[in-house]
Amino acid sequence: MRFTKLYILTLYFVLIICSVLFITKEHYNIAILLILGNMLPGYTLASSLLRENEN
Amino acid sequence: MIDEQIYRRFNHTIAACFVVYFLFPSEILRLQRSYFIVLFWLLVVSIEIARLTKGIKILGMRDYEKDRIASFVWFASGSCLLLGLHEIGLFPQSLVIATIIMAAYTDPVIGEATKKWGDKKGVICGLVCSFVIYQVIVGVLFYSIIGSIAAVIAERPKIKWFDDDLAMQIVPMIILFALYWYDLGPNLVEEGMIIMEGI
Repeated sequence: MRFTKLYILTLYFVLIICSVLFITKEHYNIAILLILGNMLPGYTLASSLLRENEN
Repeated sequence: MIDEQIYRRFNHTIAACFVVYFLFPSEILRLQRSYFIVLFWLLVVSIEIARLTKGIKILGMRDYEKDRIASFVWFASGSCLLLGLHEIGLFPQSLVIATIIMAAYTDPVIGEATKKWGDKKGVICGLVCSFVIYQVIVGVLFYSIIGSIAAVIAERPKIKWFDDDLAMQIVPMIILFALYWYDLGPNLVEEGMIIMEGI
């Protein structure tokens, strides 16, 4: 489980880095698609992880 | 426990980040960047071989994937093929970027929408999702309409040895490329080159 959490954190990190890179290169359309497309599943997954921590 | 369904969805949508490849410099560690496509694909295949032969359990796998090629391998193979065929000068960049992002998002959208509202609305949501992505990136209505229809049709058949994660990339890409190549469709913006230089 610890490995899975680390892996998920890496995915969030990759997403942030990729979005920032596209923004710095002024490819806003791609950056927005990356952020919007991953926002909902990313948020829901983070909520599920937090719930698990509380339990 | 982590919600495996949402974990699978996030793993699917995050695959859109593959397009960051186009921001890579043309050479990395004195190796052409295209070699990294092959290296990445070999890494994915190695993980899959280890999973299938040694019975390694990976979170988020579906039951039926226990003894057959997992969807992440199909998706990675499709993306690597598209990137590779772009590198040899075949597929236009904008179509490759749009198709990879479209495949990463549309399949989960169809899955979730079908689960919540049924088959018909699932197809409509898939069409809207893929159309919007093609339109935002490629910006040509003709390709957006054809690409979205092709993607949703490619998602429908459930064939054991040709996963929809691969089909949703290959089928629309081949159709769009054929239309572009044979001048049956309008020209692409900037000849399809939207990312001119890497980091």
